[in-house]
Amino acid sequence: MNTPFRLDEHRRRPQPPLAPPPDRYFEQLPMRVMQRVQAPETAAPAWGWLAALAAPLRTALASALVLSGFAASFLLSPAGPAASGTSDALAQVPRQELMQYLLASDQRISLTDLAELPGTAQSTPAETYLHASPDELQDLLDLQPSDEETYL
Amino acid sequence: MEDQEILAKFRDPASRNVAFNQLVRKYQSKVYWHVRKMVLNHDDADDITQDVFIKVWNHLENFRQDASLYTWIYRIATNECLSLLKSKRRKFLLPLTDITAELTTNLEADESLAGDEIELKLQKAILTLPDKQRLVFNLRYYDEMPYEQMAEVTGTSVGALKASYHHAAKKIEAQMNTD
Repeated sequence: MNTPFRLDEHRRRPQPPLAPPPDRYFEQLPMRVMQRVQAPETAAPAWGWLAALAAPLRTALASALVLSGFAASFLLSPAGPAASGTSDALAQVPRQELMQYLLASDQRISLTDLAELPGTAQSTPAETYLHASPDELQDLLDLQPSDEETYL
Repeated sequence: MEDQEILAKFRDPASRNVAFNQLVRKYQSKVYWHVRKMVLNHDDADDITQDVFIKVWNHLENFRQDASLYTWIYRIATNECLSLLKSKRRKFLLPLTDITAELTTNLEADESLAGDEIELKLQKAILTLPDKQRLVFNLRYYDEMPYEQMAEVTGTSVGALKASYHHAAKKIEAQMNTD
């Protein structure tokens, strides 16, 4: 039967038996540490004046920077992103579907309205949304059943 | 060079670099091995050792000498070790057993332990301890640090440290006596 292990009877080593660090590690370490502590000091002059300011002044300066950042982002942000988003979304709808939608109900748009489109100004919604040439529109209108008798 | 002399020279800008160089040479080995026992792998130990001395450089001017310089540096090193182990767990979102597995792999890769089965088993048993308990065990068992000094390093009471070491030793013995 094995003797139970007892820590105080085990041969104590001064260190756990781990592999030593690379050769000359301890010779080079002080130099490496010195290089690291002195690197920020040589780079400091550009921002050194900040450290020289009093703490309340630094806080005020930081607050002013943050506020001007907000103001700049507010002023420089493009206006009306929603409108351009709507135009883009409508531009992606197939032309055929738009025509069917517009003609499906008299309450939306009539054939007469569409017939007037080629002559309207550029800002007309149908022209903007349909991107159709006058000839294309005329061809499509000709294909629709005529309801001229209602005007007679 | 005595600590008081190092501190006096450090406060003088003309001799600051020389004093700090002396300080690093005096404590580098102790700090490195203290850290290495916790993280096991050389690269992590090297990073932490350098970070410890950079913190010493940044705060030595404000060192109030409530504790000895040696204890103060040990305390910085201890906190750095515990932070690294904690951040590794958080970073990899691993449970305790997995970081222990990583440390065990480091241990098994260490050539100095090859062939010494009992020592390897002991080291693996030490690794099963929670980080803070492992730290207490290392300080007492390997460094033979007095409990009063350990209390300064860890910021824990002597009674709590004695209890922690006792529990750690019992856990290790139990582990060593399994199978």
